[in-house]
Amino acid sequence: MTASEKVLMKGNEALAEAAILAGCRHFFGYPITPQTEVAAYMSKRLPKVGGCYLQAESEVASVNMVLGAGAAGVRVMTSTSSPGVSLMAEGISYIAGCDVPCLIINVQRAGPGLGGIQPAQGDYWQATRGCGHGDFRLIVLAPSTVQEMVDLVSVAFDLGDRYRVPVMILSDGLLGQMMEPVVLPEPQGGLPPKPWAACGHGGARERNVVNSLYIEPPELEEIIARRFDRYAGIEASEQRCESYLTEDADVVLAAYGASARVCRSAVDAARGKGIRAGMVRPITLWPFPVSAFGQCKAAKAFLTVEMSTGQMVEDVRLAVNCGRPVEFFGRTGGIVPSPAEVLARIEDVAGRYA
Amino acid sequence: MPTIIVDDTRCKGCEMCVIACPRKIIVLDKSAMNGKGYHPARLADPSGCTGCGSCALMCPDVAITVIA
Repeated sequence: MTASEKVLMKGNEALAEAAILAGCRHFFGYPITPQTEVAAYMSKRLPKVGGCYLQAESEVASVNMVLGAGAAGVRVMTSTSSPGVSLMAEGISYIAGCDVPCLIINVQRAGPGLGGIQPAQGDYWQATRGCGHGDFRLIVLAPSTVQEMVDLVSVAFDLGDRYRVPVMILSDGLLGQMMEPVVLPEPQGGLPPKPWAACGHGGARERNVVNSLYIEPPELEEIIARRFDRYAGIEASEQRCESYLTEDADVVLAAYGASARVCRSAVDAARGKGIRAGMVRPITLWPFPVSAFGQCKAAKAFLTVEMSTGQMVEDVRLAVNCGRPVEFFGRTGGIVPSPAEVLARIEDVAGRYA
Repeated sequence: MPTIIVDDTRCKGCEMCVIACPRKIIVLDKSAMNGKGYHPARLADPSGCTGCGSCALMCPDVAITVIA
């Protein structure tokens, strides 16, 4: 297979291959539908490229293995689906507290509890509000095609290494299970050095300690303040989104991931009916692409569409500073909204505000 | 008589074959569940199958074998 050649791949498998191409050689995880193909693919491929695949006894164990490998400075990842992220929450907080970069994949399914195994977007709050105890953030990336699942993996590892933060790719069961043509990137070389890593030095330097425990309050406050300085830098320079037909749009949809695919069809259908509709599709859910919403000068109203009862809608309201109405439409339980349903909502919103 | 065999372990219940079948005789078997938790596809009316292969062509996970 040559570079730039298109191949047909399942989202989960494409994502796993992209991680290997990005230099990830360590995977610790536990199977759960609809994510299992990531782990299965890694179990097949990693031993062949000199990597380490380990199926842990639980999500709790696997996330702590990620912390260990990350602390040693290697590119490491785990992947799971919604209930598994809840189990990993403690470890993710420790990883953030240790300033260790890693990649966590959440191929979302319906919740709460065991919920269902069909696609949903109910973990937005969990992902963007820190997903564990204490003051911390994850960088959260939301692909909406299999190609983007691939492209965002190296972005995720690079951002994690640059800012020393854990990064989550928030996918869903639809993207993970669907097959689309993708172009895989060239293998990434020249990974950045990690002088802070605890990886052995033969007595050549002072020892590095990777730790999240600080008993003295002033010391901990200082550590948290420095970490939030980094977060401010991320918010200032790492917002990513796609603005689709927003320049003259009266009604601007906000959607990410699988629901953004549906919204794109609905926006096209609305345009066909003479309604000026557009869409802002956040690619970084944190940092939320606030500036893109400010640029929707013509918008008379916003319509957030999610596969949840309404979570990102709160960030959209904050982004437009309650200056214009922000409405919501969503389906839950593993049901993907249809373009016709979304179109009906666009017509409704346009009728009232445009 | 033509029929289909579904590899339950590969099926993810996406229903593409249900849509593709020109005779509309493929359904998800709600009484069965595979290892991943999906209801696999089944031929509801074996006497109606023409062996056309549309389901197998459409299946993204190559889970359907057609016996023509």
